[in-house]
Amino acid sequence: MIRLPTLFWLIIVATTGFAMFAVKYQVQGLADRLTRTVKQADDVERDIRVLDAEWAYLNRPDALAQMNQRFLSLVPIATKQLRTSVADIPMRPAPPPLPPPPPPVVTVAATAPTPDAATIPAGNSTPPAVAPPDAPAQVRLDEPVSAVATESPNPVATTPHEKRIAAAPARPTAVKTASRQAPTHRAASLNELIAQITESR
Amino acid sequence: MSAAFQFDDNPCRPRHFKPPPCMPVVPDGPAKRALDGCRPRLLIMSLAFIIAFVVIAGRLIQVTLLPGSITVPRIARFDPVPPPPPGRADIVDRNGKLLATTLESPSLYANPRQIIDAADVAQKLVATLPGLNRNEVYAKLTSGKGFVWIKRHLTPDQAYAVNQLGLPGLQFQHEERRVYPYGALLSHVVGFTGIDDNGEAGIERGLDSSLRGRQESVQLSIDLRLQYILHEELARVVDDFTARGGAGLIMNVNTGEILAMVSLPDFDPSHPDTLDPRHPEWTVAERMFNRVTLGDYEIGSVFKIFTTAMGLDSGATSMTGRFDATYPIHIGRFTISDYHGKHRWETVPEILMYSSNIGEAKIALAVGADRQQEYLRRFGLMSAPTLELKEIGRPHYPAKWREVNVMTIGFGHGISETPLQIASAGSALVNGGILRPATLLKLPPGGAPQGTRVISAETSDHMRKLLRMVVLYGTGEMVDAPGYVVGGKTGTADKVEGKHYAERKLLSSFLGVFPMTAPKYLVLVMVDEPHPNKSSHGYATAGWTAAPAVGRTIVRIAPLLGVQPVDESSPSIVQALTPESMQGKRIEAY
Repeated sequence: MIRLPTLFWLIIVATTGFAMFAVKYQVQGLADRLTRTVKQADDVERDIRVLDAEWAYLNRPDALAQMNQRFLSLVPIATKQLRTSVADIPMRPAPPPLPPPPPPVVTVAATAPTPDAATIPAGNSTPPAVAPPDAPAQVRLDEPVSAVATESPNPVATTPHEKRIAAAPARPTAVKTASRQAPTHRAASLNELIAQITESR
Repeated sequence: MSAAFQFDDNPCRPRHFKPPPCMPVVPDGPAKRALDGCRPRLLIMSLAFIIAFVVIAGRLIQVTLLPGSITVPRIARFDPVPPPPPGRADIVDRNGKLLATTLESPSLYANPRQIIDAADVAQKLVATLPGLNRNEVYAKLTSGKGFVWIKRHLTPDQAYAVNQLGLPGLQFQHEERRVYPYGALLSHVVGFTGIDDNGEAGIERGLDSSLRGRQESVQLSIDLRLQYILHEELARVVDDFTARGGAGLIMNVNTGEILAMVSLPDFDPSHPDTLDPRHPEWTVAERMFNRVTLGDYEIGSVFKIFTTAMGLDSGATSMTGRFDATYPIHIGRFTISDYHGKHRWETVPEILMYSSNIGEAKIALAVGADRQQEYLRRFGLMSAPTLELKEIGRPHYPAKWREVNVMTIGFGHGISETPLQIASAGSALVNGGILRPATLLKLPPGGAPQGTRVISAETSDHMRKLLRMVVLYGTGEMVDAPGYVVGGKTGTADKVEGKHYAERKLLSSFLGVFPMTAPKYLVLVMVDEPHPNKSSHGYATAGWTAAPAVGRTIVRIAPLLGVQPVDESSPSIVQALTPESMQGKRIEAY
């Protein structure tokens, strides 16, 4: 007859034996995986070395110079192109004199009473005939920097943005901005230009 | 049984109090005495076991319950595959660009005993691999040996193609091979290794032992971009003037780091012993020769900066000192005359500006032979320089230092120096007077060596002004790098052939430093035997050959080095770099 303690110890022995073998096989599996992974890492490292060497080879300065000659034609920076501070950058040349802006009151009087102009949807290909003289002033105030650029008044607005502006003058807000003075004199320095921009806002 | 019966003889004993059958028999007499003798032994044994178990239990508690006290690694080290044998360390430039690396490359060998049809195998191999001779391969395959090399260092594509043939008896042996991606660009700096990975030139040879078996790469002070620019400009001037060769060096004057080093003609480190198809006249030995560190040359007028510096520093003369350069000096069978002399009394700045041999000879005389040698020794011009290369030349100078030697050495003849030494000593003249050893290894920021003071800071300040004057009004006018405040000195020397100077064989060099307001970098270009061409109006002197090359190099490298161009005509810069004695005066051009 198997007594209780004997049974107990038998179970314990069987369990530990089973557990030991389970752990052992698990460790073996892990070791195999580790070996494979290390080998893979080695392979990858070897590939990286080859690719590094190839990258260096493809980036030889003479090869880059040849490719530059074929595709880009860049030239070394000339000394006179180097500027050490923003203050050294020359300003753009003065723009040709702008045509005198039309008196805004006349524009309002001509456009406001016509309901058609206000109802024309944005993006319409034929802007109202009265709008164009106002368009340059609008563009100028939207982008103060371009005030110093050469912007000749264009009788027909071409981009959708300008068309929308051209169609807009019937609105009271547009009339309000149009009545403000755009900076007319050319800024002498960067600081002055920034001052002008903040003033016009 | 008989013993139990003896106990049972007691009639008063209760029935259930029956002694167990295994009750020890305690006889009287000799047996009892023997048993009594065993007891202490048993006790000792059990005590020993108890102690052993207590120790084991204590150790168990220590290992499992007190994690801090474990001294053994928690997981024992486990190396399923041995780490790859340490190869040779990579070499990278100061920005980490790979200059030399080791790649695995398969080499093909055969076991002729396993070859079935040698003729067929030879046929197929020759068709697959270029550069094989069918008869040779056939002879190898029928040799009956167990191992013959077919071809070493195959490319991956070739290895793949051989594998595709599927021939038995062919095997690959994985070998390591050194690869130099930039080819000839760094030939003399990096050098090359032989087939068994022995460094045979350049850094590969100089640092051979530390490159072996090292994992992390060796970082050089070389900047690949500057190296390319210097190489290109030097090759251009060598080509333009059909020179025999050239040497170029860019150095950080404040640390001694060499940022670029070019010697022409050069070689391809992958095939060091082949001839250049474009220049078949260049021999292998000539191409291997490092003109910057190994070649020693009579550098000529560039040497005058050292004479002037020692004259000023020793107090033998001053910035306002004057010497008579009206007539040539005759001494023994020598005549010292000027190339483009002014034939009048000249001040010390003028002597350097107009590169007067007579004037420098007189300054050298004023310094004297002993002090001259002492200063040259301090400048490191009397002994071999130190560098991480093995190709190091040493200066040559007369054993007996006579008066005529004092004078000729004063203007750079009769003493030969490597361009490397000239650059190191030149750096010391402008950086405040500290000589630091040149190095090809990148120094950590602020890691410049202490150096030794060779001239006073005041003399160094004078030298800056003088070098600037040479470029503004003297022989270095052709440098033409506006905005970078270049200063420098030209040198045109007749080459020595046997015991005489060869009249038509020149060595033109220019040592330029920029920006002179606070010197940072030195560019040295030396052209060996330039021949005049049309663009130089028949001149092959340094002012027409080396100086423009230095100027072009500076214009290209300054933006990369972060040196900002300034307005050279601004009064503060002009005043800072004009000697006091010459301020406000009209300066005669060269």
